[in-house]
Amino acid sequence: MSVVTRRAFLRSSGVGLGALAGAGLAGCAPAIKGDFAPKKGPRVVVIGGGWGGATAAKYVRLLDPKIEVVLIEPNREFISCPFSNLVLAGLRSIDSLTMGYDGLRKHGVRIVHETATAIEPDRKRVRLGEGSLQYDRLVVSPGVDFQWEQVDGLAQNQDKVLHAWKAGPQTVQLARQLASMPDGGVFVLSVPPAAYRCPPGPYERTSMVAWYLKTHKPRSKLIVLDANQNIISKTALFRAAWRAYPNIDYRPASRVVGVDPGAREVRTEFDRIRYDVVNVIPPQRAGAIAVQADLVGGDKRWCEVNHVTYESVKQPGIHVIGDATIGLPVPKSGNVANAMGKIAAASAVSLINGRQPPTLAPGNTCYSWVSDREAIAVVNAYRIENGKVVQIEQKLTPAQSPLVAQRAIGWTQSIWADILA
Amino acid sequence: MSPADRPSRQSLRRTRLTRLAPRCIVLAAALALGAPTGSTAQAAGPLDERGALGSMTCAACHGQAGNSRSSAMPILAGLDAAYFKKQIGDYAAGKRLSPEMEPYAKQVLNLGVDDIAAYFASRRREPTPIQSPADAVARGRSAAAQCVICHGPQGHGDAGKLIPNLAAQAPGYLREQMLLFKQDRRSPGDPALAALKALMKTIPDETFGDLAAYYSSLR
Repeated sequence: MSVVTRRAFLRSSGVGLGALAGAGLAGCAPAIKGDFAPKKGPRVVVIGGGWGGATAAKYVRLLDPKIEVVLIEPNREFISCPFSNLVLAGLRSIDSLTMGYDGLRKHGVRIVHETATAIEPDRKRVRLGEGSLQYDRLVVSPGVDFQWEQVDGLAQNQDKVLHAWKAGPQTVQLARQLASMPDGGVFVLSVPPAAYRCPPGPYERTSMVAWYLKTHKPRSKLIVLDANQNIISKTALFRAAWRAYPNIDYRPASRVVGVDPGAREVRTEFDRIRYDVVNVIPPQRAGAIAVQADLVGGDKRWCEVNHVTYESVKQPGIHVIGDATIGLPVPKSGNVANAMGKIAAASAVSLINGRQPPTLAPGNTCYSWVSDREAIAVVNAYRIENGKVVQIEQKLTPAQSPLVAQRAIGWTQSIWADILA
Repeated sequence: MSPADRPSRQSLRRTRLTRLAPRCIVLAAALALGAPTGSTAQAAGPLDERGALGSMTCAACHGQAGNSRSSAMPILAGLDAAYFKKQIGDYAAGKRLSPEMEPYAKQVLNLGVDDIAAYFASRRREPTPIQSPADAVARGRSAAAQCVICHGPQGHGDAGKLIPNLAAQAPGYLREQMLLFKQDRRSPGDPALAALKALMKTIPDETFGDLAAYYSSLR
């Protein structure tokens, strides 16, 4: 994700950054120092410009334009993880999932393309290297980072053993590896133990790779090594879809513990499997800043939050949203992160204005593609009961269908606009 | 200025947001969250506006202020409140079958359907940006003769009879609903829809795309 193509750099480095006040805000300027954007009024700082953070930044501005919003996000472009499995199958381009942040700038959000390095809750300050930013309320939407150390051989081979679990250059690279795999080859996909970002994602990826192999390399095979006991989301629907893909060899309770790109071999607790192309989705935890700022719980992985305000149970002035959170009965999905972004924004705006935060629950809409033209979905609705998020209902589509796929496309168009436009 | 030359409300809004001084951004942002057709609510701001916070969840699919910009997701802005409430009730009861909307309808009931219905009813509908081919619109116009009896010459429906306004609605949504009526998969057994479904059975599937194109092009 840190690789910026020349074209992408040119697209995002011009007009938008010119609107920022003060020198040093532009990513290409000399290193920022001190309080480089002194606060002029109430301010919300948002760390992370993904599905949760970008939404929170926009909605704070919509709900109260008197509040300054600064969004800290190292990447100059937003690349959607949802729909990125279609890139692996050659059905979408990564460009079709890539969007700029200019829409947020038009709402008056200041964007700083840097990395937040520390949080100082006592001084209400975020550090970015030698620079710092004051805030009245902080929203942290750090996403996930990988626990490389959980798989032997992974840390030192990050360039060869791809995750493609943060949409971007790795998605394109893995698609290329798949396309250049000889027919008759073996693609190995490893699924990490829950909890991880996007529970149905590995199974959608299984479907997409299987569809691609069936269509373009019919003598090839896909071995899925799942650390979990079974498909953990939309189980029956994926099972039904996979009847069309006899090329899938799905192995539950098969946790990958090692990988050796020299021997082209992955190791589970019981077995060694040869591969031509491997995709290890590593075990995950909250993004680095959440760990660094001690927002994670005893497990050192995820952040517990208040179910109404999304304030950290460890640092009450700091709201944590998205995949980094734990303890709510919601999946780590883009739609949930988007919903949390809005609720955290409403909460932060209310608290800055000396009001009671609203009592709102998130919702989850989650589509998965199972072929080039069909999709399935799960939807969850929630309410707040005694201060906690509880599920009202979960519904699944009865079967895969092209109509669901059309609605999936509609959902991306709508929600990308909700986040960024 | 002909309608074709006129900049869209959205592009106007963008221009305003970039050009205007901060004090004007209050109004511009209120517009962005969805300007009510009356102007009194603007002063209070979205935090105080009836149904505004509760409807935030809906925006993920239905767009800001219910103005969906996609083909498949319906525009809720400007939808008659009684019609909206009937649909939410039917979705929640499993009468109008939708795996997506059944859970969300229950969430809306939990949040307060009256407030959310009032919120969407008071938003100005921004026509779908989805442009249909002119030949499909023309074919749809011819095929729409039978629809006029209930939906009116401009597709505006009849709120008193819970007949929805189809004009400027998202075409993918309209097409899917006609298919569901024909297959009796939308509100099966609802006597109020019997005549409509009988009519739909006489229309070939491919004509639904033309009808959707036509109604989405009306204003």
